[in-house]
Amino acid sequence: MSGLSVGMFLFLVSVGMSLIFGVTRIVNLAHGSFYMVGAYLMVTLVEVLPDRPWAFWLALVAAPLGVAVLGGAIEVGLLRLIYHRDPLMQLILTFGLILVISTLVLLVWGPDNKSVSRPDALAGSVLIFGQRFPSYYLLVLGLAPVVAVGLWLIFYRTRWGMLIRAATVDREMLGALGVNVAALYTQVFAFGSWLAGLGGALAAPTVAVALGMDGDVLTTAFVVVVIGGLGSFAGSFISALLVGLLQSFGILVFPAVSIVLLFAIMAVVLIVRPWGLLGRPEE
Amino acid sequence: MADPTDPQELVLQTIGLRKHFGGVLAVNGVDLSVAPGDVRAIIGPNGAGKTTLFNLLTGDLTHDSGRIYFAGEEVSGLPPHQLCRRGMGRTFQITSIFRRLSALENVQTAFLSHHRRHYNILTPARRLYRDDAFALLERVGLQEQARKPSGILPHGDQRRLELAIALASGPRLLLLDEPTAGMAPRERHEIMALVARITSDTGLTVVFTEHDMDVVFAVARRITVLHQGSVLTEGSPAAVRANPDVRRVYLGQLTSC
Amino acid sequence: MTASARALGLLAVVLALAPLALPPFFLQLLTEIAIVGLFATAFNLLMGFGGMVSFGHAAYFALGAYAAALLVKRAGVPMLLALPAAPLAAAAGALLFGFFIVRLTHTYFAMLSLAFAQIVFTVIFKWKSLTGGDDGLLDVWPPAMLKSPAAYYYFTLATVALSLFVLHSVSESPFGYALRSVRENPRRARFIGINVRRLQLLAFVISGAFSGLAGGLFAFYNGSVFPDFAYFTKSFEPLVVALLGGAQSFFGPLAGAFGFKILEWLVSRQWPVYWPLFLGTIVVLVIVALPQGFVGLAGGQGWRTRLIRKS
Repeated sequence: MSGLSVGMFLFLVSVGMSLIFGVTRIVNLAHGSFYMVGAYLMVTLVEVLPDRPWAFWLALVAAPLGVAVLGGAIEVGLLRLIYHRDPLMQLILTFGLILVISTLVLLVWGPDNKSVSRPDALAGSVLIFGQRFPSYYLLVLGLAPVVAVGLWLIFYRTRWGMLIRAATVDREMLGALGVNVAALYTQVFAFGSWLAGLGGALAAPTVAVALGMDGDVLTTAFVVVVIGGLGSFAGSFISALLVGLLQSFGILVFPAVSIVLLFAIMAVVLIVRPWGLLGRPEE
Repeated sequence: MADPTDPQELVLQTIGLRKHFGGVLAVNGVDLSVAPGDVRAIIGPNGAGKTTLFNLLTGDLTHDSGRIYFAGEEVSGLPPHQLCRRGMGRTFQITSIFRRLSALENVQTAFLSHHRRHYNILTPARRLYRDDAFALLERVGLQEQARKPSGILPHGDQRRLELAIALASGPRLLLLDEPTAGMAPRERHEIMALVARITSDTGLTVVFTEHDMDVVFAVARRITVLHQGSVLTEGSPAAVRANPDVRRVYLGQLTSC
Repeated sequence: MTASARALGLLAVVLALAPLALPPFFLQLLTEIAIVGLFATAFNLLMGFGGMVSFGHAAYFALGAYAAALLVKRAGVPMLLALPAAPLAAAAGALLFGFFIVRLTHTYFAMLSLAFAQIVFTVIFKWKSLTGGDDGLLDVWPPAMLKSPAAYYYFTLATVALSLFVLHSVSESPFGYALRSVRENPRRARFIGINVRRLQLLAFVISGAFSGLAGGLFAFYNGSVFPDFAYFTKSFEPLVVALLGGAQSFFGPLAGAFGFKILEWLVSRQWPVYWPLFLGTIVVLVIVALPQGFVGLAGGQGWRTRLIRKS
């Protein structure tokens, strides 16, 4: 159960990372940092807002938006300057952002672990098949299909989604057709960041909000994205589920090797199909 | 083909070479025989399959069916570096050199590889084969440019350098893909005169593709005409020039024929 | 005797006399600089000379560090015999992983190297009974005669100097020329008869071996080894150092290591937590402000002087 909800957070982070790669061709290593910032913003918002039932939900909406603004600002201020450059330089730049963001988080929120209490309505637990589950996990699991369907609707039923899918196939053509590609990049980057922030905000009540959660989620999301195929929405979804399940059951069955197994799978995928299970090969 | 030479003595032979991309047959059953000392031009209108055939011969692409023989041995499916080791040298349509190395280092590196010294990790390379490299650069007229980074040389000089790199591998067959591409008319004749001089000095066999028909008819000893992936005809320049099929295929496409 | 050879000679004299003038702390700083310099130079054999950017070189650093530390701790092997195992273990790892990694290019090359490094990290982290997991292996000290900062400084300096000499020979050897040709133009390199993958793999193994030696030296300097040695942030250290110092010249990464470590010391002394912020900002600025990337960074001065030097 907790494994499934971990899969959900992973999905949110990795689908955002994958989306950003699909459109801008940037592997955003700072994506785990966005997830972490989402969680920390959640901590602050829940503290600052008055102690009312709606406060939690307002924070859950506002924290990811804050991350989206951060992502958009980074895109406009930095990434926009280097799209035409060696992709490796872009990777290194986003790595530099990891360092910057983690230090800033340390300075703003301090070194101690934080926690977010679950909203009263979901503070208890429920009995399912004779086992107790925290009801908050039900919320997370309930949200999973909502977010998945919502994303699907956005990608396949809106003009914006159509532009995004077109951009993953042929960016030059899109520019030639008069689409404002620069603005689309910013929107996509902000949207991808929002997804990571949402993942972090949702995860905040289930984990210790701590420095270092950026690296943990990044490496796993990275595996998800690579296995599923960079830039593939469906790939990320399936792969996040797989990885989430593998992690939760793996920890029960063979705790020592589960993560090694994960990276081994990723390595095999990279060797056999570098563009991922459902991705598209590069030119 | 009609070539009467014993297959064992052919430098290059293909039998029924075929390659398709998706549904398009780019090369459709090409039989080609090149005898030692030949200077063979492969021509044809755009889309005739020249470049694909070239890439099959050099191992850059693998063919779907058919066979390739080089110096009497089957080489079908061998990777480029092994073809090079067996004595195939080539230049590329888009000049392909080591741009941030000096002209001298370009040629030296080719010599080092040819003499199988490139896994030697401890002796200094700077003086190895330097005289050979200088001699070769002099032969293609680049002795003055030897120390310059090759990437800043004029286009024509880069083509010459690429020729020198190919020659440093000691080839018995030289494959030139559009050797005069992007050059001014005068330069074209200079570089082809250079190729002609080298082949007559060394007896090297040459196969080249070329758009410029003046160049083709000035240099080639035999010409193979491709059309829609197949060999339309093959023969001496005079025979090809007189061939009505060739005229028909080229009509309206090339004015210089 | 060229100017650079004279400069090197002078540097050697200064470094050899340093223990007479400097307090132990600075000797330790210099020891660290030498180790990072070796790590970055080994890494740069791939990046600067081979055009291959590894995002997982921490793996080989850690393999070397753990191989040496495990031999000392678990098998009771003396340090001077354990240290040579560091490059050997790292080379073996580099051979195994590199076999797959060199099949890919550019971003995918970088990502697969990162994936393998994460595997190494996770194995070290999880295999508690052997590696001590998160707690690391403690009390990995050199023998008494090398234990003082000055003694270990000399030992490191000599080892690193010898290693740099070997790496420099490699970069100027026929192999080094071939490696540069592969960096410049793999397609052309194939058609001068070079088996590109095999050549890249050999470079990967050599680079991995010396990264492992740096790891081994660091293990005994540090007196302990931790899983962090293999973590992905560690993999960026040689990259950033080489980038700062200039990837295209052989001694660039060494200069980068000087700058990097001294800057780290200055910043950390003043504001301990700000160092990553500082480093990250520098990385971001260097990348945004150098429009030509690696090539431009390297291209400005380095390669011209290197190419047009008198022979």
